[in-house]
Amino acid sequence: MEAPSYPVNPAAIRLSALTKQIQQVIDGVFGLQTFWIIADITNHTYKSQGNYHYFELVEKEQSSSKIVARIAGRAWGNACVHISNFERTTGQQFKNDINVLIQVAVQYSTAFGLQLNLLDIDTNFTLGLFEQQRKYTIARLLAENPGFIQLSGTQFITRNNQLPLSRVIQRIAVISSATSAGYQDFRHTLDHNSFGYRFEVDDYFSMVQGESNAKQFLARLIEVFESDRKYDALFIIRGGGSQTDFLIFDNYELSRAIAKFPIPVITGIGHQKNETIADLMAHTATKTPTKAAELILAHNRAFEELLIGIQKMMLIKTFQLINHYKDRLAHLNQVTIHTTRNLLHEHHRSILQLSGLVLTNPRIIISNKRKDLSNLTGNIHAYSRMYFTNKRGYIGHFKSVVRLMSPQNILNKGFAILKVNGKIVSDTATIETGTLLTIATANAEIKTIVESKNEIDGKEFNV
Amino acid sequence: MEKNLTYESAYLELSGIAHEIETESVSVDVLAKKVKRASDLIEFCQLKLRATETEVNKIIKQMENPPV
Repeated sequence: MEAPSYPVNPAAIRLSALTKQIQQVIDGVFGLQTFWIIADITNHTYKSQGNYHYFELVEKEQSSSKIVARIAGRAWGNACVHISNFERTTGQQFKNDINVLIQVAVQYSTAFGLQLNLLDIDTNFTLGLFEQQRKYTIARLLAENPGFIQLSGTQFITRNNQLPLSRVIQRIAVISSATSAGYQDFRHTLDHNSFGYRFEVDDYFSMVQGESNAKQFLARLIEVFESDRKYDALFIIRGGGSQTDFLIFDNYELSRAIAKFPIPVITGIGHQKNETIADLMAHTATKTPTKAAELILAHNRAFEELLIGIQKMMLIKTFQLINHYKDRLAHLNQVTIHTTRNLLHEHHRSILQLSGLVLTNPRIIISNKRKDLSNLTGNIHAYSRMYFTNKRGYIGHFKSVVRLMSPQNILNKGFAILKVNGKIVSDTATIETGTLLTIATANAEIKTIVESKNEIDGKEFNV
Repeated sequence: MEKNLTYESAYLELSGIAHEIETESVSVDVLAKKVKRASDLIEFCQLKLRATETEVNKIIKQMENPPV
């Protein structure tokens, strides 16, 4: 179309002529150069029809959040594939208020003005940001709460994870989203356990994704604390999701509250990658809601097995004791029977022995006495016979002695008896010379007078 | 036989008599009396033993076959 000319200022040119010049300058300066820049996203819109991202890139002053730079940006085609990959890898949606490292080219379009074409987006930068944020939060927790959060090696020691767990976990509080599949899994595992355990579950529903819900979550936590219910444990349940969904569990206030919480906190947060800070602060962390439920079941089962063990042990010991006493009794029984029988037998035997003695010995005694008596009688007979024989012997002896000694017998042997005056003289002293002697021989008496007398020894007759 | 006679005292007396008889220290004058006494004591002891044995066997049977 032919533009009318204005005579006022012949030097005037069309806008398009100027923008074309600008385009030439910019193209001349930037050409095909690309730049990696760090910026925040704002005013983001996505047209799925045509697969276009429109946004603005801004840089804010760190202290005041005052915008110090702003420029339009867009992404399409290949860049959109990069953005999808970015979202999948980081779990971070490409949206307003995220800080990103992107590769851009400067482009000036005469129709749309100056803008940056997004060519690529750095995944690791965003992941690093999360990690950095996480590290910062952990450092802050440690620094500001030395009373109940400490680090020992790689282990966190918090007031919560030092709490003793009840032997049996039965009264539990659950903070979860009412509609989440993770919560359903958790309840299903608890309610349909094969051991038949029953639980008192109090639900404290809350949104459990996105850092913005941390306040609501914290309020639920306080509700549990103020409930006056004697909970054995508080469960924080969250199913799977993208990494940014779990940012709530890296929240400083929330993590701090968990660390300080007076009821053991058990987490069942279904994340694949490294643990959330809430997991680190909690009493026990499990990888999924189902695992959290299984943990309680295993915990309670351990207690039941302990009881069963004690019961078995008591039964066994009782049986052993009873058997022991039974055996002892049986033994004593045997001993009693045996000893009693022996004793009776012994008594029988000794009575029999005594009665045998009493039966036989009197006969022997009587027979002995009888023998004594007959011996005595025999002796008496024998002795009296001997006595008489002896006496007879003596008498015979005396008879023969008397016979031998009779004067007639002596006279017969040639001896003579001297008599003086009719008296027998045995001592010759009275005989003197001239004495009238009568000599009696066996068959004569001779009267004579003594002529002489000589003393002699008489040895001639010494027989 | 006198009342209150125990097995022990009967046995003691019996063994005394038996000892006298065995050693023939008993005089013939009392022998018959002693033997009579001994025979009485033996009878007493045996009766007592049998009664005890019967009772003990009864008890032992119960011990060996306790009522279930």
